[in-house]
Amino acid sequence: MLLPKFEYHEPSTLEEALQLLSSLGGNAKVLAGGTDLLVRMKQRIDKPAHVISIARVPGLDAIIPRNGHGVTIGSAVTARELSRHELIIDRFTPLAIAASRLGAPMIRNRATIGGNLVNARPAADLPPACMVLNATVKLKSAKGERDVSVNEFFRGPGDCVIEPHELMVCLNIETPAPWSGGSYIKLGARKTLEISMVNVATLLTLEGPDGPIIDARIALGAVAPTPLRAFGAEEFLIGNKPSEELFQRAGEIGVGFCSPITDHRGTMEYRCMMIEALTKRCLMRAWENARAWKP
Amino acid sequence: MKTIISLMVNGEQVEAAVEPNKTLVQFLREDLGLTGTKHGCGLGDCGACTVIMDGKPVNSCLVLAVQAHGREVLTIEGLAENGKLHPIQQAFVDKGAIQCGFCTPGMILSAKALLAENPQPTEQEIRTAISGNLCRCTGYQKIVEAIQEAAKSIEGTEV
Repeated sequence: MLLPKFEYHEPSTLEEALQLLSSLGGNAKVLAGGTDLLVRMKQRIDKPAHVISIARVPGLDAIIPRNGHGVTIGSAVTARELSRHELIIDRFTPLAIAASRLGAPMIRNRATIGGNLVNARPAADLPPACMVLNATVKLKSAKGERDVSVNEFFRGPGDCVIEPHELMVCLNIETPAPWSGGSYIKLGARKTLEISMVNVATLLTLEGPDGPIIDARIALGAVAPTPLRAFGAEEFLIGNKPSEELFQRAGEIGVGFCSPITDHRGTMEYRCMMIEALTKRCLMRAWENARAWKP
Repeated sequence: MKTIISLMVNGEQVEAAVEPNKTLVQFLREDLGLTGTKHGCGLGDCGACTVIMDGKPVNSCLVLAVQAHGREVLTIEGLAENGKLHPIQQAFVDKGAIQCGFCTPGMILSAKALLAENPQPTEQEIRTAISGNLCRCTGYQKIVEAIQEAAKSIEGTEV
């Protein structure tokens, strides 16, 4: 498959990139890993007159710890880096697991967190993980910048709040409180190069190793036009002692927040059953990780 | 408008003028005549176009040639030294891991990248490493065995 013609820009500073976006805006697409954009261009779904590569803009590919309080993840950090980074594995577990399940090794070597979010596919791997971590994204333009919670970032399939003249530069995530643990489960017909039938990210915070749940977060993907948080199920968990029965009930409540469709990957009925089962399973894993929390 | 790019391909400095919509796989095959890299699906699904760029396997159908400027690219043609097959290539021959051969260059480069960072992989790690490389002859078992064999023979030569 061949690519259509376009004009290529390769800014070497952030300012230059933002200037280009401000002048070319709607006629330009940002090229990060290329694993989605180049495919869409080959299929003639996207036909940008200009392509702006951010590969040589310094700093966008860095993971910067912030003194134990949190982490700043550049928008051009690859899924491979996320899945192998010790701090991400240790403290931001759902994100590391989700990154390790994205695509296949060659895709993970190129695909970026910024691209995975901006493409706003309902079944994408990284959004649910970013949502349970309450990540905020920093969007910059030539005129200014704004921070948006990932929980308010998605508007519909392929649609998010980023404007054509804006560039996502990084994500900021606070470190979850002590005795927190999280997980991520992706369900597909095969283990690799798969688009989720249902995916679930969870994060639990306990009062102590045997204590009740003081914070709970559940995000679901491929179950609605956007990935979503099952807030009702989260509230149900808070204040209770963790148990398999409790998590089963949370899964049942979680289904109520979803409006899955029937497509070639699975039926609506099957997706609903899987939301319930996988929410429970993913909460069990989060609980296990929370109990094993180390300072 | 064409852009001048300069990169290392199989240890040799290459300079060329390319259109921005030319992918790395097209550049390797059409401009450099390195047809060992196969052009399969063109969408990052099949892995036939796998090359190693800066030490990591990538789908060269989803990399623009201009993006490879200043990088180091290794293709299947760069593996053999002085006419002697690389141990992974030899193991593929010895173990009968090649049927039609279309996936072979990609499989071998994925295996090369794996063994470079994990010289003694488990079977599961091997299967994960080649999980983005499709073999439509479905000869996966022999391929896995060949990579296991290659790991042993590389270890043997380094001790």
